[in-house]
Amino acid sequence: MKNTVKEERIKNQLTQIQLAELIGVSRQTIFSIEVNKYVPSVILSLKLAKAFGKKVEDIFKLEKSD
Amino acid sequence: MTNGKQHVGRCYLKLDFEKRKACFTFVIQIYVMKFLLPHRYKKIGAVIAPLGFCLWIAMQLGYIKSFLIYFFGRLDGSYEWSAYHIVNIAAAVLGFLSFLVGLYFVSFSKERVEDEMVQKTRLDSFQFAAFLQIIVTIAGFLFIMFAGDPGESGMMLFFIFLIFLFWLSFIGRFNYILHMKYKQ
Repeated sequence: MKNTVKEERIKNQLTQIQLAELIGVSRQTIFSIEVNKYVPSVILSLKLAKAFGKKVEDIFKLEKSD
Repeated sequence: MTNGKQHVGRCYLKLDFEKRKACFTFVIQIYVMKFLLPHRYKKIGAVIAPLGFCLWIAMQLGYIKSFLIYFFGRLDGSYEWSAYHIVNIAAAVLGFLSFLVGLYFVSFSKERVEDEMVQKTRLDSFQFAAFLQIIVTIAGFLFIMFAGDPGESGMMLFFIFLIFLFWLSFIGRFNYILHMKYKQ
């Protein structure tokens, strides 16, 4: 699964720390999501979407291998 | 007639989605807090576990008794045996218990930020440790089958090794993965 968390974060002028504080996780979790090393849960995906004011499917997209 | 659980269940169903979510999160937090200690316990565990292990090994190798004889000299007959033996046993119990409690503190303490990625890493590490333990157990028993009976003490050492292999591999993998993530 690929995501546009990094692009959305930069578009919203947020640092990893600010985004992490906004949704209540660690900066390392944000980094891991951005580099596709960690797939977040539904709750965290909804929180990320809410923080960016977008739908979950706009941020997270399935790949052929999924 | 309804009991307390049914009443709570009915009240829960009357709540809207947000309130239900808050209730669910609260229950999960209580559940996690029930098993995980505050972060400061990790540091305490990291100090007392190696100290306890060293004390236990010192007793096993007879250093405690040699230490007592060196400082207090030899005592008369059975008195020496009982006094030094009690200190020796007390050191072994204290060392082993400190080691176990230290392992418990290190294994079951929260991280500074306890989020879902840390929880997933913890679960993955438990899985890794269980897998490693079962592989080593099978390999050990195959070795015993071909190499012969290691005797009662050999088997006991093997089982102690298996128990600690689980906890040490869990602690090692969990902290290594988190360390690598924090470095990034």
